[in-house]
Amino acid sequence: MRSLIFFTLVATMLILSSCEKELPTHLSFDNYAFSTTDQDGGTWNTTLISSTYEISISEPTATSSSEYQQELAELKQEMSQMSDDERNAVEYWSDNSTIRWNEIALELIAKYNLIPGYNDDGTYTLPSPANPAGPPAFPFAHPPYAVRALAYMSVAQFDGLITAWHHKYIHNRPAPYQLDNEIEYAYMDNGIPSYPSHGAVIAAASKNVLTAMFPLEAEYLAQKEAEHLKSLLLSGGYVQSDIDAGKQIGDEIASIALVRASNDGMKNAQTPKPVSDSIADAAFDRYGWKWINKELPQRPVGLTPLYSKVRMWNVPNVEMTRPIPPPAIGSPEYLKDVEILKDYADNMTTERRRIANFWQDGLGTYTPPGHWNEFAKEFIVKYRLNPLRTARTFAYINMAMMDGGISCWDAKYYYHYPRPIQTIDGFKTIAGTPNFPSYTSGHSVFSAAGAEVLAYIFPQEAAVVREWAKEAAISRVYGGIHWTFDAYIGTDQGIDVAQYTIDIAKSDGAD
Amino acid sequence: MNKIKYLSIAILVLLGCYGSANAQTPNDAIMMEGKQACVLFEYNYGTFYKYWEGSDLRENQTIATVYRNTVMPMAAIGIVDRLNFYIGVPYIKTKSSDPNGGQFAGAKGFQDLTVALKYQILNRESESGTFSLLAGVGFSTPISNYLPDYMPYSLGLGAPELSYRAIAQYEMKNGIYFRGGAAYLWRGYAKAEREYYYNDGSYYTPWMDVPNAITADFSLGTWLLEKALRVELNYLGSKSTSGDDIRAYNAPQPTNDIEIDRIGIFAHYYFPNIKGLGVAAYHNQVINGKNTARIRTTGIGVTYFFNYLKNKSQ
Repeated sequence: MRSLIFFTLVATMLILSSCEKELPTHLSFDNYAFSTTDQDGGTWNTTLISSTYEISISEPTATSSSEYQQELAELKQEMSQMSDDERNAVEYWSDNSTIRWNEIALELIAKYNLIPGYNDDGTYTLPSPANPAGPPAFPFAHPPYAVRALAYMSVAQFDGLITAWHHKYIHNRPAPYQLDNEIEYAYMDNGIPSYPSHGAVIAAASKNVLTAMFPLEAEYLAQKEAEHLKSLLLSGGYVQSDIDAGKQIGDEIASIALVRASNDGMKNAQTPKPVSDSIADAAFDRYGWKWINKELPQRPVGLTPLYSKVRMWNVPNVEMTRPIPPPAIGSPEYLKDVEILKDYADNMTTERRRIANFWQDGLGTYTPPGHWNEFAKEFIVKYRLNPLRTARTFAYINMAMMDGGISCWDAKYYYHYPRPIQTIDGFKTIAGTPNFPSYTSGHSVFSAAGAEVLAYIFPQEAAVVREWAKEAAISRVYGGIHWTFDAYIGTDQGIDVAQYTIDIAKSDGAD
Repeated sequence: MNKIKYLSIAILVLLGCYGSANAQTPNDAIMMEGKQACVLFEYNYGTFYKYWEGSDLRENQTIATVYRNTVMPMAAIGIVDRLNFYIGVPYIKTKSSDPNGGQFAGAKGFQDLTVALKYQILNRESESGTFSLLAGVGFSTPISNYLPDYMPYSLGLGAPELSYRAIAQYEMKNGIYFRGGAAYLWRGYAKAEREYYYNDGSYYTPWMDVPNAITADFSLGTWLLEKALRVELNYLGSKSTSGDDIRAYNAPQPTNDIEIDRIGIFAHYYFPNIKGLGVAAYHNQVINGKNTARIRTTGIGVTYFFNYLKNKSQ
């Protein structure tokens, strides 16, 4: 008997230890042949700069020159001494590194998406860029902050790559592995000229924008950039001067992006209490209701009341996208919604709970815009987009979602509509009620805007992504934190806002 | 008869551990003979107002006071003289006190089914007392679709657990006993209803790695009233072997690195005139910890023994 127990024990342990699996921390994909190379990509319209001629790089040395031959020799030397870590880095970064920097951005968003708690005396301290270490740490990467960080990074990446493409096909400098048979290229040969390195553009642009958005991560991001730049060299696809030229473009375009960011109105979005109160009172005078925060201790100011004033990317005026007013509190339409919400709360089903949680993307996560970046990433790999079209996809989806967020926040604070827990006595939710007014739903607007851009870029997926956006919208009603009209009208609002970005995308030269 | 009584105590001690979301397998030194069975029905009431976020003890008005009520039926069966089998499943209900700042709905439902085996390796009597040595294995797994990623209201960790346990006890002739146990708890993966979470980095999966844990427990007890009453003081320590901290003002998640120091008292009374029937009561408190609730749990239970096969020699 004793030996039987011992045997069972050992056997079970062995079986179970073999069940331990590696959980995915990033998207794994094989290097692929790009569906297009877009040799005319350098002529596409840019967003931050008026033309690619704004950023100039020096003429590359000829591959026959002694300088280049010296670079080639150094490259071969470096490659011959590659460590295992470096080999892993080459594989990790891939030839479409925008995907990795997007993942890094999402990781930092999730890391910093923590709402500041209350102090011992019941007051709240807001994160401050003047004292990023806090506590609380700066930033609080809530959805409006997150989508803005993503938009600036993606637009800088896209403008940077258009600039790189412009120079690539002027200079047509071959890659080291094309010049020297002894060099084995780590990625698929897509025949894209090497000068300047597009990966280096992405590394520098991303690192600089993210460092401004997440100042406490400067060291981490610098280390990521260094690893990425080194991996470009070790891939056998670039000599150091290819990488240096790309980095120069990345640095310059990031500076231009960050000048825009510093003046886009975000620094005034989180208002002092008197301003916030006057916004609420204006809504009360207009409609006879106002949203109030129900947390304990009560938060004195909602989240970014003046995010509506942040400079939009592609919508000329936020009021052009403002939705119709919500149903009056106490009206038949409102009362009907109260019954719907109570019914959902009292009869929670497995499916509704699953939907509420799948789309929740709440505190501590990458937020709804992050979720749509993840979908974009998966389609990019599925349809084998090249780095330029990858950056284009992220740039348009994030511009559309940021514009959507600004439009949504305009509606939220203009109408100042209460949340269900404010007006339904004793109402309980399975999702956390956020610190801002209800109408319209941020998830609905972000998701519809994201879905419309994906439907434009990946028409094969249009039906799928639009269905997802509707599910994301209704998920907030299932969660108990939004009215049905917050969701439906929010979806329409997102579709409307995205159209401005899609119109610009359609005429940028890529189609 | 004493051995039968011991068994119900064993179950009680086991059950007492559920209230702190720290499921244990049978962890005492008491054995039931073959063809005997015991059933138990228990109710316990847990409550906490503060919890450790990392190592910082804090309150959180978003959740205010959290209540955790449990009812649990359980059975123990002596398969053969030195091998016992246990099975039990708790039904749990959680909620916050009102008012609270979060307005979250609580949760309710069946938690994890636990089955366990315990084997007596050694039972040596001497002039001064009895020394016994036991080993056990246990397995538990969720039997409802409760959401583990809904803390602090979630019913459990949501992962299968295998436990490997060793127990040693010395009982003196005068009824005073000391017991020590140690266990290794292997835990599998909990499934969240989302495809991304942060655990010191990004994870693109609904699967959360629930840390394994080691536990140690010590008890000092004695028999009173001619072995109709047993009282015991106990300590339980539990420590995850990996995991992350709860982040500032954020909800816990199944991946957290949990440490628990818990003390408790326990009493079990056997009605001398009603064969097989006993009642038990206990109270325990988490007194120190990491990424866990400072929960206080009070439980009461009824135990009943019987022979499931006749003509059992005693």
